[in-house]
Amino acid sequence: MNPRIEELKRRVRDGDHRSKRQGDPIDILEECEAERLSWPKRAARLAVRQCEAETVVIAAEEEIVFTRTLPAAIPPVFSQADWERLCAGRTLHELGPINNICADWGKVLAQGLLGRRDTALASLEMYRDDPQAVEFLEAAIETLEGVLGLAARYAQTARQIGRLDLAVILERVPAAPAQTFREALQALRLLHAVVWLCGHYHVGLGRFDQYMWPYLKADLASGNLDEARAYDLLAEFFISLNKDSDLYPGVQQGDNGQTLTLGGVDRAGKPAVNPLTYLALRVSRDLGMIDPKINLRISAHTDLDLLCLASELTRKGLGFPQYSNDDVVIHGLVAHGYNLEDARDYAVAACWEFLIPGWGMDVVNIGAVSFPAAVDQAIRQGLGAGEELAGIILRVKSEIEGQVQRLAAVYERLLLPPAPYYSVLMSDCLERGKDLSTGARYNNYGIHGAGAANAADALSAVQEFVFREGSVRPEDLLDALDANYEGYEELRLKLAELGPKVGNDDDRADAFMVLLFDLFAGACESYGLTSRGGMLRPGTGSAMYYLWLAQGRDGMREPLVGATAEGRRKGQPLGANLAPSQGIRIRGPISVLLSFAKLDNRRACNGGPITMELSDSVFRDEESIRKVAMLVRTFAQSGCQQLQLNSLNVDTLREARAHPELHKNLIVRVWGWSGYFCELSEEYQDQIIARHMYRDI
Amino acid sequence: MAGLIFDIREFAVHDGPGIRTTVFLKGCPLSCVWCHNPEGQSCIPQDIHSPAGSRTAGIEYSAKDLAALLNRQAEVLRANEGGVTFSGGEPLLQAGFVAEVIDLLDDLHVVLDTSGYGSEIDFRRLLERVDLVYYDLKLIDPEAHRVYTGADNQIILQNLKELSASGVPFVIRVPLVPGVTDTHANLVAIAALVSGLPGLVRVDLLPYNRAAGAKYKAAGMEFRAQYNEASPVNADTGVFERAGVKVRVA
Repeated sequence: MNPRIEELKRRVRDGDHRSKRQGDPIDILEECEAERLSWPKRAARLAVRQCEAETVVIAAEEEIVFTRTLPAAIPPVFSQADWERLCAGRTLHELGPINNICADWGKVLAQGLLGRRDTALASLEMYRDDPQAVEFLEAAIETLEGVLGLAARYAQTARQIGRLDLAVILERVPAAPAQTFREALQALRLLHAVVWLCGHYHVGLGRFDQYMWPYLKADLASGNLDEARAYDLLAEFFISLNKDSDLYPGVQQGDNGQTLTLGGVDRAGKPAVNPLTYLALRVSRDLGMIDPKINLRISAHTDLDLLCLASELTRKGLGFPQYSNDDVVIHGLVAHGYNLEDARDYAVAACWEFLIPGWGMDVVNIGAVSFPAAVDQAIRQGLGAGEELAGIILRVKSEIEGQVQRLAAVYERLLLPPAPYYSVLMSDCLERGKDLSTGARYNNYGIHGAGAANAADALSAVQEFVFREGSVRPEDLLDALDANYEGYEELRLKLAELGPKVGNDDDRADAFMVLLFDLFAGACESYGLTSRGGMLRPGTGSAMYYLWLAQGRDGMREPLVGATAEGRRKGQPLGANLAPSQGIRIRGPISVLLSFAKLDNRRACNGGPITMELSDSVFRDEESIRKVAMLVRTFAQSGCQQLQLNSLNVDTLREARAHPELHKNLIVRVWGWSGYFCELSEEYQDQIIARHMYRDI
Repeated sequence: MAGLIFDIREFAVHDGPGIRTTVFLKGCPLSCVWCHNPEGQSCIPQDIHSPAGSRTAGIEYSAKDLAALLNRQAEVLRANEGGVTFSGGEPLLQAGFVAEVIDLLDDLHVVLDTSGYGSEIDFRRLLERVDLVYYDLKLIDPEAHRVYTGADNQIILQNLKELSASGVPFVIRVPLVPGVTDTHANLVAIAALVSGLPGLVRVDLLPYNRAAGAKYKAAGMEFRAQYNEASPVNADTGVFERAGVKVRVA
């Protein structure tokens, strides 16, 4: 890396840019009230005033500019009382604003904001008799003006301080179509940052190597850029994505959804890996910064070279790339009603959920089904009633159906606030004269399926010890569960350590896991369409639910579970995503892959990775890295859906616990996201340390 | 026939080519003072206690069950230039069992990772069945060998001749223990011994790992380093290169 890039990275790491930040959020409530603005107009006013309130920051040597100076808090557009009235009886998704979707960045870059304005104006003409469309389109145009104004002020300042290179670019983009790689990066930086300023979050970057490659390709062909220069520009863009992330909402810092998706196939199904795919992986590897998070789409036939490069990135310990398997995902999406071309164009949302950039207004995470709670209820009631395994399974089925129905019922009342600016960036909101909040082509809901390994292990323990061996009496198991295993340590150890477990390629346990996901998918399928006309997509991720379902959380809609039959004490975390239950012994990653390959991923297609940590000794030399790449290829060849690999060393983590001040840069992938280890609260640190290591004791 | 296994580990990236699963056979005739698999020494099951929980090192498998377990992964191992490695402990101590397992394997590349200390009959029996041998050479001086490994090296040196004559390719592995095996004289002697041997692929020098003692406590054993663990290791590849032997530090 050249000294300029090193210096830009140092500044962001040290937080130099934070000195430019403003103290208080702006206040726009008064004008919204005085003008009695409609909700869409208030949303537009927010975008405009936020853009206006941004102070221009152009640091020396920066070639891609924009630094957020406004604080994290987004100014309210309604009084508290009005807001409560608006939301009465409705369900807000998380914080409220639309989040965790992905814009059609390619289209906006290609048309420029002026092109988008032309589209809006044409629609305004076409829908002039539809007051809602008119109001939406006017609001959308207003937001455009706000962004154009911000760009103009940046251009003006650049000219004043003699940065003509910048001025020329900012006078062109994002207004006009980008013509060069640098222009496209600059436009994207600005357009993306404003989405956050509007209160949206988990703002995905989509298929970056697809929509950016035409610009880079043309520059390389014309000699406008050489590869080294392209590398620098991309590195600067990646660094810029790390500037403002502490201002973004998320469960913890790092959980900001600035993901980009690389590789895969194009809309026609042809392999779409290009030189930018490689360049982005190289830059990410060399920078070692937490943003952007990278998802790599692969298949059974992906070149080992690409996987080797990706494994070098894994070695950096950032917790990405995360892999998704096109061979599985595309079919799964088609089975869920996506048209084939769109399905081929999927990107990954903040964590792992699949969505179609520009066309998806899916809410990919409306909650989680707790498999452990469903199974636990079934075991307690079934054993109590003297039933055999078949009776217990029937109960599991109805528990899962009940959980799915309760979650979906809550989201039948979903309220999405208008999003005029985000609508500008989508594929056809302006074209149809409809705000994004009213829906897009895809309006599905995703539900996580959490704790599957624990639940399957519980069923497997009951089958093995109560029914097959008869070595545990039902009443003893029930008493032990009620007592949270106090006084039943011997029984607990037997349940926890003996018998078949998920993750060891043992059909006796894996079959229960397959069954659980089939019941889950069946429950989603039988629910039918939601009030927004979408389906329920069952997923295999757990997000934070691996902790919440075990330990509780304020306002949680999902059932809390106590001690469970796989020997797990109350409060002990569940396995995260698709991982074996915590604390069990497994032979290693091959068996884990073969266990999870048994799932029917066409039916469970909301994403949710197999999660594995590999010891950093595995990444010691080129030959071993090639083996990691082969492991990734094995993941794809065995028909698994998604894989999250991390390189971790327990000693490093323990050392970091003892001396956090020396390990500020230690980054770990926590589940769907990466965070600075020393900034995670202790319970998460414990979980990460405890998570399986495929290595010595 | 049944065998005693103290671990089965997948994705063992340092135990041979490609993606491999390594089977650790329990029981070893040597007692090297630097042994980092102390639970592999005794021929009877042993309880391991650590903060991570307790387990028994030493599970009995029938050849049929072990082969079935390995064959479940055969497709993956074959597709990734890998296979199965038999390590230990000392696999030669359970040669009959290992041979039976190999005969039941579904066309898998097999590596034998051995100290070379075993009967000639046992060694030949496995040589007929394996594709590659990882062969340890620790000390050439017989007295030093007795002191540090508890056994004579005559058998090992004799089996090395068998190995070279067998046509099975082999890698010589030299654990570099500071002041013990990494002396100039020992390395020169090893280089002279293996130089020009038919079938030799290369020599791997394995610098001492200070984690060697990490497992003793859990295994209820005591680790006494009879050398200075902190001393720098003499990983002198030049000695081998000058003898015309391909060498690398692993």
